[in-house]
Amino acid sequence: MKTLIVEIIEPKRLGELVTVSKEFCDTPDIVALGAGDVPGVYNKAWQTEETISANLVPAIAELIQKEEYQVVLFSASTVGAGLAGPVAAKLSASVVSEVIGIEPDLVVRRPMYGGKAVATYKITATPAILTIRRKYFEPAELEGTTAAETLTIAEPLVSLIAEKQEKSEGVPLEDAEVVVSGGRGMGGPDNFSMLQEMAEILKGAVGASRGAVDEGWAAPTLQIGQTGKIVAPGVYFAVGISGASQHLAGIANAKCVVAINKDEEANIFKRARFGIIADYKKIMPALNNVLREE
Amino acid sequence: MGRIPYWNISYGILIDAFAIPFVALFVYGMYRWWKLIRQGRARIRPDFPGKLGPIYLRALFTKGILGTKIYKKPYTGIAHGCLFWGMVLLFIGTALVFLNVLFGVPVFNGIFNRWFMSFTLDLAGLAALGGLLFLLIRRGFFSPERLTVPKERNGFISIVILLGLILVTGFLAEAARIAYNGTDPGAFVGNWLAQNTPLAHLAAGSITPDVIAGTWFPPLFGDTQGWLVFHQYMWWMHGLLALAFIAYIPYSPLVHVVLAPVNAALADPLPGPKMGVMDFSSFEDEEAEDTPPLGAAKLTDFTYKRLIDYTTCLWCGRCHEVCPAAQTGKTLSPKGVMVTLAEYLQQGKLEDESLVDAVSSDAVFSCTTCAACMEACPVCINQPKTIMKLRQHLIMERSEIPELMGKAHSSLELRQHPFFGTGAGQKDWRKDLEVPIFEAGKTEYLLWIGCSVTYEERAQKIAREMVNILDHAGVSYGILEEARCTGDPAKQMGNEFLFNELAEQNIEEFSELGVKKIITLCPHCYNSFVRHYSKLGGVYEVTPHSVFIKVLMESGKLNLTKSTKTICYHDPCYLGRRNNILDEPREVVSSIGELVEMPRNRRESFCCGGGGGNYWAEEEGTRINQVRTREALDTNADVIATACPFCLLMITDGSKKFTEEQKAFDIAELVSMQLKDD
Amino acid sequence: MHIAVLAKVVPDYEVPAGDFELSDNRAHSRYTRMMGLYDENAIETGVQLKEKYSASLTIISYGAEDDIPVLRKAIAMGAEKLVLVTGQSDDASVIAANLKMAIDNLGDVDLILAGQQSADMDRGVVHGTLAEMLGLTFIPQVSKIESENGGWKISQLTETGSRDLQFNGKGVFSITSIPENVPRIPAVRAIFAAKKKPVEKVAEVESNAMGIEEVSVEIPTMDSVCEFLPVEDVGETVKTLLTKLREERYL
Ligand SMILES: Cc1cc2nc3c(=O)[nH]c(=O)nc-3n(C[C@H](O)[C@H](O)[C@H](O)COP(=O)(O)OP(=O)(O)OC[C@H]3O[C@@H](n4cnc5c(N)ncnc54)[C@H](O)[C@@H]3O)c2cc1C
Ligand code: SF4
Ligand code: SF4
Repeated sequence: MKTLIVEIIEPKRLGELVTVSKEFCDTPDIVALGAGDVPGVYNKAWQTEETISANLVPAIAELIQKEEYQVVLFSASTVGAGLAGPVAAKLSASVVSEVIGIEPDLVVRRPMYGGKAVATYKITATPAILTIRRKYFEPAELEGTTAAETLTIAEPLVSLIAEKQEKSEGVPLEDAEVVVSGGRGMGGPDNFSMLQEMAEILKGAVGASRGAVDEGWAAPTLQIGQTGKIVAPGVYFAVGISGASQHLAGIANAKCVVAINKDEEANIFKRARFGIIADYKKIMPALNNVLREE
Repeated sequence: MGRIPYWNISYGILIDAFAIPFVALFVYGMYRWWKLIRQGRARIRPDFPGKLGPIYLRALFTKGILGTKIYKKPYTGIAHGCLFWGMVLLFIGTALVFLNVLFGVPVFNGIFNRWFMSFTLDLAGLAALGGLLFLLIRRGFFSPERLTVPKERNGFISIVILLGLILVTGFLAEAARIAYNGTDPGAFVGNWLAQNTPLAHLAAGSITPDVIAGTWFPPLFGDTQGWLVFHQYMWWMHGLLALAFIAYIPYSPLVHVVLAPVNAALADPLPGPKMGVMDFSSFEDEEAEDTPPLGAAKLTDFTYKRLIDYTTCLWCGRCHEVCPAAQTGKTLSPKGVMVTLAEYLQQGKLEDESLVDAVSSDAVFSCTTCAACMEACPVCINQPKTIMKLRQHLIMERSEIPELMGKAHSSLELRQHPFFGTGAGQKDWRKDLEVPIFEAGKTEYLLWIGCSVTYEERAQKIAREMVNILDHAGVSYGILEEARCTGDPAKQMGNEFLFNELAEQNIEEFSELGVKKIITLCPHCYNSFVRHYSKLGGVYEVTPHSVFIKVLMESGKLNLTKSTKTICYHDPCYLGRRNNILDEPREVVSSIGELVEMPRNRRESFCCGGGGGNYWAEEEGTRINQVRTREALDTNADVIATACPFCLLMITDGSKKFTEEQKAFDIAELVSMQLKDD
Repeated sequence: MHIAVLAKVVPDYEVPAGDFELSDNRAHSRYTRMMGLYDENAIETGVQLKEKYSASLTIISYGAEDDIPVLRKAIAMGAEKLVLVTGQSDDASVIAANLKMAIDNLGDVDLILAGQQSADMDRGVVHGTLAEMLGLTFIPQVSKIESENGGWKISQLTETGSRDLQFNGKGVFSITSIPENVPRIPAVRAIFAAKKKPVEKVAEVESNAMGIEEVSVEIPTMDSVCEFLPVEDVGETVKTLLTKLREERYL
């Protein structure tokens, strides 16, 4: 099936879409957004520096129509979310967003109800437009580059006035994909630096239980739970935290909880995906060592 | 020989004439208060046995006139009692003199003169002076924090000086009279003064009367004899100051002399702040033009009883001293709230809506509605009701609520329970447990589970153990298929509207099922049912589980073994102070172990910190639950028992700071542990 | 200025995973119905704009009549009226076509706001589709909106930070949640007033669905069973942990 990838030039993001495209074709075509070389090998490549979805819609829809693509892949990101609906409507295409699994014959899977259910769809009419959820497909290694033709964009409707990049250090706790939290089991304020180090390496943030906040070992702004911040990271490391329900209320949407606790009965293990029954003072330095080496 | 009234005083009757303007001043002053207070809203007075019009007679006599509450602080209480009752007796004495002058009532004869007019009145004067001195020294040198936080009331010194002068001039006038006329049997103070002070010399002529008279006391009405002149001075000063005192009452903190009994007489003696339910029908009504204020934004939104509260408040700070919020560094002080409102009232700012901000929303929301302040207040002020009215305004009119409480509030609005983010489903608590569902016409008791027990893991245990107890005793009970909340948290957060919605929903289901008797696990549910559902048309026979267990025990349906554990019982505010259920839980505890009391117990119990929606609060300052748990642990009891799921959760959390052991249990858990298998 | 906010009523999105069950491939009907999480942010944003620019505000919803009481809350937050297109489709294109019909009926709408994604399907497609059907500009993940010289100044959240955009004309924005648009609690008076505000019910129009067949919906088996990692060799333990986390794409 003739497949088009539309994505910002960023190797990991491109790589993931290339991986997905292999389900449909040998080599996809690409519209690469942004400046610079287009990494990877494609049949055909177009490029534009425009990254505002609204300005891209007409050109991309036109291209899909002209080239008769059957599958179009975006990532489930700001640009992808901005393109999928309008492009689909322009072309009367079928769109499935936030795809996390692909099966043969245009059968795709996506989560709903906040991940509490997963739906499987069969797409019966092309073009099929899919937005792919990040971190579900192993990014393909992109070798070499492909020379790209310029995609002409009509007079832009929306103009960019300013762009702010969040500093990668000090990710806000609520937004962090990795949260390393310490509880009363930390035994004192000093060892929070271990958590800090790990959070820094993983570009995450440090959190705390109320136990630790109560003891004055962590700032109240770091408290996670019912009376603190509600977080939904990909991984939540609970270090020396017993897992009281009020604490768990704050991590209900964490995807994976790793618990490090020396008490095998601790409630946190009921919520955890991975558990390590040990003194954190042994585990944390080892973890940081391995992470640092990588 | 009897005493002669107005002895040595010419035109003595003038003092009675002078009384007229002074009393007029008094009346005018009181009228000014009345005018202010009248601007409050009328209130609905519930019926109560022993009530005369709006007046609760018993409270009027005990708390109002006898001032029984003052004696909870024995030293201050006795000092105040001496001063007050001393003054009352002296006033009676004066009134008798007046009766003697006008109608010749023979008060100056025989033993009545000796033992009442002389002895008792001297004693009264001495007591009053002693009380005054104590209060002066305490305030001057050992002033407790409660008097000065957030500020001290003006007027104390002038009152002390005034009262002191009245008493001293009275004694001196008496002594001068005695010095001249000879000992007056019974008047031990006067006699002593006449014999042991310069007065004696005055009378004996060893000091030239004229010297003193000439320099200090220019003769009055033609009398020249120094001690007679001195007597006249003292007499007139005494009389005029006493009149001034009466006139001063409405313009000073003394106003409480009048208002405290009034306030006591008007205070509904049911324990707790008695929030009542709100009527929203005028909002539904298309025609209605005037909709009532929701809560209170300004003084005129309060009932006149509240305005009397603010006028009566002594600023004594007894409430501040017992308030869990004030004692743990929150912005709230019930006295502070009273002070702010009293000042607004005094400044005539009755329509000023900056009131809530002057109190501060932080303060308004940190009240746990524990009612400890009410319990401590000597003059029957209902502080929590004022605070809750302000809170109602914040949430219902301004939509203001602290962030976390707001989350619980919106969960309550959306899901009919406040436990946002709970990991528990409706049926989790009864997993692997067979619990009968209430069947119309068949089941006797509805076992009401409530929100915390349904959705909070630790609290779920209470229901499981209660089910075990009921099964053991063979009670006919059932639960509702769907778990819900009574709405109490909404009410505590100030949203009466949401409360009514939830309550009406429950009442409807209860009537469909024909529910008549309810067992509650949570005192908040209990309180809602008996106090508020009844006003919305849902009248049931409601029994808190602690009481129900006691009844089962007494009727021999529970086969219990007594353990050797020492058990410290924490009174939940909504069971103890607010509903006077103090003995039953203790009897239950005593029958399964050895009851231990904390220093603050029964009606003086200290809140766990979880009330008033503050279970969902980011506490500033010390945590209330840790303070209470520390107090419980200090008794060295083996376990801490309570009879409220919120208390259980708060104390469980509080104990984590001090021990790794599980210390806190619900009374049902403890009883269930002691059930003998038969 | 006339602002329309799209709102969808969904089953409780906070039902704990352990208590979640399906019937007919959808969340069981026993769950409480409520406004979608982001939709509330969108309504709040709409109300703020209304207050700032003295605009009028209409709530538009596609769904069931039973949901009107829930939608009244949106009115109570500060809207003038509610338009409900009654229908049951879950197809993004059908929903968009019906919303378009409602907007066309209103005639004078300048700005359309919608929650970033619905709290049941978690899809985030309808608003973009609708924009294109209306021929309007679509901007996703908008956090702030200001009207400026007849156009709009918008902040958009992206994966790496934020962007300030500017454009003239009418648009459809999907709204994300930020501290500034935490939904307000409607005042009690507003709740009563909302009961008296008009609710316009419109029957659904025929429209083509997308070529997508739903094959199945399943509840993923939650392997919430904790996997305990052996701790004999700590170095090994942490390596296993990291490998597993990466394998399952948590890291
Ligand atoms: C109304 C209310 C609201 C609350 N809100 C929150 C909230 O928002 N957030 C919150 O976190 N809590 C909250 N709590 C408190 C909650 O109930 C718990 O008390 C708190 O979470 C306990 O913190 P902890 O797990 O750090 O401490 P603990 O429960 O004391 O647990 C410490 C753990 O560390 C382990 N440990 C000890 N030493 C080591 C070691 N060397 N290595 C590894 N493990 C070790 C122990 O085995 C234990 O499991 C709230 C409570 C209430 C009542
Ligand atoms: S009810 Fe309790 S918390 Fe509230 S003011 Fe009174 S003592 Fe303080
Ligand atoms: S409210 Fe009562 S206890 Fe509090 S300061 Fe006033 S008089 Fe004293």
